[in-house]
This record gives sequence, C-alpha cells and structure tokens, in this order.
Amino acid sequence: MYPDPDTDPSIMISVRNLSKLYKDFIALNRLNFDVKRGEKIVILGPSGSGKSTLIRCFNRIEPHSSGSLTINGQIINDHTSLPRLRGMVGMVFQNYNLFPHLSVLDNCTLAPRLVRRTSRHDAEDMARRFLTQVNILEQANKYPIQLSGGQQQRVAIARALCMRPDVMLFDEPTAALDPEAISGVVSIINDLAAQGITTLCVTHEMGFARHIADRIIFMDQGCILEITPPDTFFTNPRTERARAFLDQMIRC
Amino acid sequence: MTFPRRRAFVRQCLRVVAGLALIAVPMLSARAADAPDFVRDGTLAVCTNPTLPPMTFVNGTDTTAMAGVDLDLAQALANYWKVKLVTTPMDFVGLFPSLAAQRCGMVISGLIKLPARERNFDAISYLDTALVVVARAGTPPITSMADLSGRTVAVQSGTSYAARIAREDEALLAAGRAPITIQQYPTEDAVVQQVLIGRVFAFASQDVELYYRQKQLHGKVSVILRSDYPEYRHFAVYIRKNAHDRESVEAAIGTLDANGTLAIIRKKWGIGTSSTQAFAQAGHVPAFRWDTFLAALTSPAFARGALITLAVAVLSHITAIVISIPMAMALNGRDSILKVVLRAYVSIFRGAPTLLQLLFIWNALPQFFPIFREEWFTPFLATWLSLSVNESAYQVEINRAALSAVDKGQEQAADALGMNRRQVYFHVIFPQALRIALPPTINEFINLLKTTSLASVISLQELLSVTQIEVARTFEFTEYYAAALVYYLAMVFFFLFVQKRVERRFTWADRHRASANVP
Repeated sequence: MYPDPDTDPSIMISVRNLSKLYKDFIALNRLNFDVKRGEKIVILGPSGSGKSTLIRCFNRIEPHSSGSLTINGQIINDHTSLPRLRGMVGMVFQNYNLFPHLSVLDNCTLAPRLVRRTSRHDAEDMARRFLTQVNILEQANKYPIQLSGGQQQRVAIARALCMRPDVMLFDEPTAALDPEAISGVVSIINDLAAQGITTLCVTHEMGFARHIADRIIFMDQGCILEITPPDTFFTNPRTERARAFLDQMIRC
Repeated sequence: MTFPRRRAFVRQCLRVVAGLALIAVPMLSARAADAPDFVRDGTLAVCTNPTLPPMTFVNGTDTTAMAGVDLDLAQALANYWKVKLVTTPMDFVGLFPSLAAQRCGMVISGLIKLPARERNFDAISYLDTALVVVARAGTPPITSMADLSGRTVAVQSGTSYAARIAREDEALLAAGRAPITIQQYPTEDAVVQQVLIGRVFAFASQDVELYYRQKQLHGKVSVILRSDYPEYRHFAVYIRKNAHDRESVEAAIGTLDANGTLAIIRKKWGIGTSSTQAFAQAGHVPAFRWDTFLAALTSPAFARGALITLAVAVLSHITAIVISIPMAMALNGRDSILKVVLRAYVSIFRGAPTLLQLLFIWNALPQFFPIFREEWFTPFLATWLSLSVNESAYQVEINRAALSAVDKGQEQAADALGMNRRQVYFHVIFPQALRIALPPTINEFINLLKTTSLASVISLQELLSVTQIEVARTFEFTEYYAAALVYYLAMVFFFLFVQKRVERRFTWADRHRASANVP
C-alpha cells in the first residue's frame, strides 16, 4: 500500500481519493498517488481528461470537492492559508500571464514584497539571482511586451521561484515555444529538480515528457489510468486507452 | 396705620399690572397674527431670478449683490415684520418649484399677477405696469397685436407672454391671417439681444424694464405698442396658498404704499418718471469692447465662477469614479439581485436628462425629505450630489469595459503568487484597467465640466450663471460670452494636457515606445 506521508519525509505530495465535481460533471474521480520530494511528474492525457484541473488543485486555484490532499505534511482544505500554500506551490501558466505594466524585475519582486513583506532591496537581489538562473538577467529592466515567448516563459519561472516554492506546477509550458526554447525549459526543470524542487507538469509534447519525467501519470475522463516511468509508458503502455492515445500523438 | 395702607398700595399695583397685562396680551397676539406664517422662524426667505432689471438684477460685478425694486420691496417687508431677509437667486423655472418646496416663503421676481398662477399660489400686487412691444429704433409704431401677423417675436421662456401671444395667433388664424412666430429665450437680456442682432422683429416685455434699459440700450430700440391686455397690469409677490398669509401680506404692502415707501422705491429705479418714447438718439457703439472683455477676464466674479465650475466638476467626477468602481465590479460578477438593482440605476440615470435630475434633486427631494430643505443643502451640494450620481452611471460602463479588458489570466497569476483580493486589484488589475479607462474618462470629465453650466437653474453661481448675470446688467453680450469661452477652453485644454502627460506613463503597452524608453 501507500507509505504514510506523515511518517515518510521523502513524500512531498500525497493524494487520496481526490475528486473534483462541477455540478454533475466529474472532473477528477477518486485519484490516489504520491509524489516524492524532488521528483518530476509529467501528466499526460487527451484534452478534457482533467490534467490542468488536477494541478490547479495543488495551489487551490481549483479547490477539490472531496478526498484529501497533503503537501509537505500539511493537509490542504478550506482552512489552509492561501498565501502560505501558494508560497509553497509555485505555478507557471500556459500563457505565462506576466504583468504587462511592470518591468521584468518588478514582475519578480511584486509578490515577495506584498505577500512576504520582503524589502525592495532584498526582493531585487533575490530576483536577480533567479533571473540569472534562468539566464535572462540582461532583460531585467524591459517590459514583458518586449520579450519573445521563450524569454517570457523564463521570466514566469523566475517570478514563481522568487516565492521560494517547494513545488512547481507547469501548465503546458511548451505549447507556445520553438524546439530550441523547449530544450532550454528542459534544462531549467532538471535544474530545479537538482535543487530539490518537486515538479508537476502538464504537457502534450511527448518528447519533452520523455526527457524530463521521472514518472508519467496518464489520465482520461478524470481518472488515472497509468502511473509508470516514461520508458515503460512510451514503449509498453499497459492500457488500451494509453496505447490509442500514443498512436494518435505519433501520427500527428 | 402704615401697614394696611401699604397693603392697599400693593393691591393697587397688582391691579394695574393685571390691567396692563389684559391690554398687552391681545396687543402681542395681534402683532403675531399680523405677520405671515412663513416668517415665524424670524427670516423672510425670498426667491428671485436676478435677470430682470430694474425689478431684480445684479447691479455690479459682485454676483451675490442683487438689487432692484423687488429686492427693496423684500427688505421693506422684512423691516415691517421685523425679521431677517434671506434672498436666494435662482433660474426663472426654479422659482415656483422652490416656493412649493418651502425653500422660500415668497417669490418676488418681477412676476405678473396672472389667474393661471393664482390657481396654485396666492398673488398680491405691488406695482402697476403694462405689456409693451419693442422693436429696433426707427420701426413705425403699430396699433394692435394683430399688426404683428407674420412677424417673429421673442419672449422670455417661463413667462406668460408666449401663451398670451399664442391666443392672439388663434384669432389671427381664424381670420385667415399669418400667425405671429414666437421664440423663447431663458433670460430677458437674451430676448433683447435677438432684436438687437435683428433675428426677431420685436420682443414683448413690461414697460418698467424699458425705463431702466434706456441708458444701456443707447436708443437702439423703441416701443411700438403699449398693449391694452387687462391681465398684464400688475406685478405681484407670490406665496403658498394661505388665507391668513395673504391678508397679512396685503396689509403690509398696503401700509408700505400708504406711508410712501413704495413711492420712494419707484422713484429710485426711475419707474413712471419718463415716457417710453424718451430714448436718446443712438450714439456710436463699437462692435467689441476690448476693455469690457479684459475686465471680465480678470474680474473676481469670473474667476470665482470658473473656480466653482471646476470644483463641482472635479468633486463630482471623483465621487462618480469612487462609487462606480465597486458598481462595475458587481456588474462584471455573478448574477444577483444587486446586479438587477445596479442595472436599473444605470438605465435611470443615463436615461433621464441631467437638467431634470438637477431640478428633481433640488426641488422634489425636499418634498419627500424635509432635511433637504435646510440651509446646509446648498446649490453646490445639490449639484455635486446629482452630477455624481448621474456621472457614475456613465463612468460605470467605462470601468466595466476596462476591467473586463484585463486578461483573466492576470488575476489567476496574481492569485497563484499568494496575493489577497486587495493586492490583486490594486497592484495588478486596476493599473492595467486604468490605461484602458483613462482616455474615455477624461472625455467624460470634459463633458461634465460643461454640464455644470446646467446648475444655473438651481442657482449655483458657476461660470455661465455669472456670465448671464453680467450680460443682463450691461448688454455687452459678445464681450462676456467671449470671456466665458476663454475660461472654459483654458480649463479643457489644461485637462487634455494632463491626459497626454499621463498617457506617457503607459508605454509598457506599446512595444516600440517601450523599447525607445529603455536605455
């Protein structure tokens, strides 16, 4: 059975019977899995399978309906402090959603200053460090509109890292990127894992998934069908549904 | 036996005191009954429209100093009743509603005693007069109103002349003749202007006014007919219907007439001293008096009027913006009863004319809530209130569009970083919505700045009111209009300049301009 997250410090996220309902529609249906500290999970599945809904439960942008969710030993429910949870779980959106009215540097310092009450000086120091890590420090004083998609993506990652999260959520990080930029994202995510940051990533990009995933979660119609290492998943999927999905992706 | 004698003396004294009391009590009550009810609080509140010399007008550049026959009569009545006089200047159309709303006890404003008005109010006449028809100097006299057939005649709107001439038209039409065309203007001086510039053939007015205007008009007009209408014979004060008040006002005016007070007032304003034909020959009048224009530009009256215009516009718009932001957020949110109520609010205040809203708040609100009848509810506050409410209905649409134009992902991204609602709105959504809302908001403000001129109807002494009062006093309308225009344009250009400066801060939305600003 599953290890007890309360006693096993290597478990970062623990999901038990997690469900999400929109009126009559079951978006997530009794999910169970654990994610280890520093692990990189890629969630695959056809559109509408509940992938994005699932990762949005982790920072409670979508509150789950039933079941339990434990992150870093804390049970996530209505009583959870949202600023604390969201400081612990960072997120990078598909469209990056950078703040267009703020410079790259201010995009990174806004939340630490408002939510953490970090001084401007300290916040800017930290922002420069993470902008350096994602290799975009030279753009610090520009506005988002002046950057390319790949550059905006890296700013969005730096912005999330400035809150010093333990978990990073990526929603379709490669959807709007060219192949060169994708390999950049791969190295950044591997970098995060090396620092012990747990990564959950929703994607449609099979090559990308294969490169970064420690484990693949395959979802369909709100249910988890497979949780396997990528090699097994891509060469020898257990379910008929996963096989059909892979066939379709390859044909495209 | 001093003791009984002293006792008798005391009894005697008591008897005298009691006797005096018996005489004094009816005397006191007689004095009290003598004064009308509406001065019971120790003040005589008079409403007047100071644009009709010599009856009621502003005789100088200080717009708060009104003068004329009516003001002297009001003072004489206040002295007679031993009460304090409070006069409120206002637009002509506001006079009777204000009387009905108990904002004043009496209207004295060069009003003719008319049966139609006496249906709702009591009228007590104080001066004899006659309706005259006046045309440009040199126009041959006519013998009857019917001679005006086919001509255009100007009258002040809200007066009864229009209705009287309309009846004349019915007779003309019945006789198969062309009717008299009537044009109505809000002030008496605007009426006279139409004759001076030749747009209309003649104007109808009261003779007393012409006595006074002789000097100003430089012999440019002359009386072509003194009408024999029986109903235009008397100027009257108007009060709310009350038999007792009517008697006491009649008695007071009767006394003032008998003791010569009214004669002194008539003489002071030159009424009945000269014939209407006594117009001097026209002297040379320059087309545009630069000295008048410059004096108006630099006068404290215009500066004060412009300041009031600016203040009421800025305060109203700030209030409108503050109340319209939560309204816009509610309207963008989920369906609720609040949303239905807000939609109704927006429809009502966008649908109703602003002028009507001003009149409603000033004149109808006191009928429902007596608290708005009190002195603290000034024309400035009333204008501020009604323009704020009115403007918020427009501003809410601008805010709503601006807020929905901000990408929904922005709110999500801010949420995901752990910001609370207040931080999300103040640091992420509002700064982006501001860029979208600013240009239409400045447009709205410029509109609002000009809309404040409507507040002259509820007696706010803003820029246009001041202008009209000066024009009524001097007839130098081109000069005063030009001065007002300069003030309005200066204010508008200032705000357009501010808009340009503020827009420079939004370079982040424009890739090329953003690049140009980066070192």
